[in-house]
Amino acid sequence: MKISVRQICFIMIAYTAVGKLLIYPTQLANLCGRDILFPALFDLAVSGVIIWSLAFLCSKTDKTFFGLLQATIGKIGARIVYGFFAAYFIAAALIPIFEQKLYVHTIFYDTVPSLMVFLPFFMFSLYAASKRFLNIGRCADICLPVFAVTMASVFLMSFSEAKWDNLLPILTTPAQKVFSSAANTAFRFTEPCWLLMFMGHFRYKKGDAAKITLSYALGAAVVLLFLAVFYAVYGEISSSRTFAVSRTSIYFPAIETLGRIDLILLYALEMVMLFAVVLDIQMAVHSLALCTGYDDRRVWSLAVNGVLIVILIVCDHYFHSILQFFSQWAWIWVLLFAALVPLALWILYAVVRRREYERKI
Amino acid sequence: MNEKFKRRIKDFFSVSKLSVLIYWLIIIALLGLFFTNDFGLVDIHKTAIITAVGIDAEEGEVIVTCEVVVPQPSQSGDNIKYTHIQGSGLTIADALNEVNSKTGFYPKLQFCKLILVGEDCQNQELFRMLGCFYRKNYSELTALVAMCKGKASDMLAMSSPVSDMTSEAITKSLSEEIEKSANAASVSLKDIAMREFSKSGACYMPFVEANVPGTSENGGNGDNVGGEEGGSGGGQGGSQGGSGSQGGEGGEGQTGASGQSNQGGKQMEFTARKTAIFAGGKFKGLLSPQQTFALSMIEDEIRLAVLPCDADGIHYTMGMKNIDCGIKLNVENGTPKATLSFKAKAQIQGAKVPVDPRTTANDDIIPENILKGAENEMEKRFSELIEVIRTTDCDLLGLREKLFKHNTKYFETFKDDILTRMEVEYKIDVQSVN
Repeated sequence: MKISVRQICFIMIAYTAVGKLLIYPTQLANLCGRDILFPALFDLAVSGVIIWSLAFLCSKTDKTFFGLLQATIGKIGARIVYGFFAAYFIAAALIPIFEQKLYVHTIFYDTVPSLMVFLPFFMFSLYAASKRFLNIGRCADICLPVFAVTMASVFLMSFSEAKWDNLLPILTTPAQKVFSSAANTAFRFTEPCWLLMFMGHFRYKKGDAAKITLSYALGAAVVLLFLAVFYAVYGEISSSRTFAVSRTSIYFPAIETLGRIDLILLYALEMVMLFAVVLDIQMAVHSLALCTGYDDRRVWSLAVNGVLIVILIVCDHYFHSILQFFSQWAWIWVLLFAALVPLALWILYAVVRRREYERKI
Repeated sequence: MNEKFKRRIKDFFSVSKLSVLIYWLIIIALLGLFFTNDFGLVDIHKTAIITAVGIDAEEGEVIVTCEVVVPQPSQSGDNIKYTHIQGSGLTIADALNEVNSKTGFYPKLQFCKLILVGEDCQNQELFRMLGCFYRKNYSELTALVAMCKGKASDMLAMSSPVSDMTSEAITKSLSEEIEKSANAASVSLKDIAMREFSKSGACYMPFVEANVPGTSENGGNGDNVGGEEGGSGGGQGGSQGGSGSQGGEGGEGQTGASGQSNQGGKQMEFTARKTAIFAGGKFKGLLSPQQTFALSMIEDEIRLAVLPCDADGIHYTMGMKNIDCGIKLNVENGTPKATLSFKAKAQIQGAKVPVDPRTTANDDIIPENILKGAENEMEKRFSELIEVIRTTDCDLLGLREKLFKHNTKYFETFKDDILTRMEVEYKIDVQSVN
């Protein structure tokens, strides 16, 4: 029951991009203004390097992340690490779920709907999170074409309104501000952890590391292009326009005559966004299953979704406080889980190799 | 055989085989539940959609007049009713809240196409008045913004032969086609905010006037569109509710049904050839139609413009196409220098001489003296516009923003007095179409 490299590539392209199209552009515009691209470029480049490093490690060993941990720090240690990762993935899913709720409420409704309207999302989440990697891969197969068509259309509809010189002059923001902005938004970059979990669950062939890294680079390019388009359309007032993906195409001339035809694209893109949000929940369930050794994922799906529903209901009106908290502190655990742990795998791999070598001798 | 059949049935109903089906069913259910809002279907009897908003200022309060479309179930074809509802308060949000309580509909302004600012708002801070529209996704920033002569509530209460919906008639005078002929400098909520919050800190919006149909301003050379003023006293559109809405009383204004003629009031035509200009959110004056023409040439993409000009004592009306106009700012020898370039292909559309059919075939080949007359007229209009910009310190052409973008190192030096210090060079080239 393995996921294919093609499907991992699709995940890297589509899910990387869709998770950064709602409040992320607004947040970056608020932090860095015309230099909106540079903090994003920094975060994407760092994640890209880690992804390449992980993908390259997959060419050296067919062990899973759990397998490597087990071989070095023992089964109990591996389970503890996976427990931490489960908590990390649940935390990583929080902001995207809140964003989705606000997005659906704001863009798809003319009035003020209640929270109940969004809760059916958890029906989908409950089912999807109980599935394994094979299913995640199949979903990616469906999502990529939808993503490609909708994003291409959104870009085409937005270009006519874009004034590219709004991005000038470049690099007037102090470097310190650029880096602090990158740190403030780092909690959105969980992609290396996805690959960490996929490790050993796909058959590596020559050149796959390059394919996976290039796919991530393509997803990153879509994010950067969208950020540029968003700022080119709204300039100085970008920081007041939330749910960016629904704002850039609204000036397309045909909308004046035909109405909000862009909403059709946004509905389709919303489907891909939901799969991307659910991926973190699926990873949390996978981590819990390995952490406890109890493999009935339906139980863990119920538990994780239950926790998320409770948080969503209790914190319904505290999104901005949560966002502020994540902006201020989440970079620490992102640094740990999405950077240091993946890079530390090379050390674990070296230890395993050495033990194998010693055993042979 | 029986075992094989049973296994097939079992395989068919296995969860893994049904995964795709279950996914699609869940997605369809989600689409139904929260994407399409099908369970939030709006009862047509309870719907009221705000299509235009008029803003007036009175004794520190904001008076908001909403043009509301009320769909009516009807078999006679007259199925839309337009009405005006007022609200007042210290902010537009206060006033809209009052409108909400009167219409029973959440006024999110998603369908608002026009925001009309009354002349009495000239003494107010523009973005204090309009601030509400930029907050909390209250409206998409696509609505057109214009200032009107007199009170906005009075203008919205007028009726027009062009359309039953007054806002639509006004919007026609601000349309994209009008903008592309340089006859109005149309802007949206987004445009004015982007200009105002740029380094230039200045913006503009069309100034709408109502005129009695069938009249035209005398002595014009084609620029003086308009005619006998409709006045701003209101009452033109029937039972106008007036502005007596303070203290939360608000009035329900004119009501007209689709297909009906104006209720006793005189119908009016709307034009927007003048432009209201603002710097730092404060009203700075009005641009004449000629200055508006020059501004539109620089700021908008013009497809076909009509330019009246004189040559050798004869008046000509020139049609200009393939227009390429813009302003560049450089710093040369320590002095900011703006280069205003204008290129166009022209043909004669009219002349104040008896027409000779044998020569009209040559209208595309224009004598040099007439081209020179057109160039002089364009330069005159551009220089008048630059003069207004200098005297009002209203950076309508975004020169400070250009300086910041392209000559950042000089920005701090020149940002305060660039408009008065800069040299302006005009490069105007009008050629025959042929």
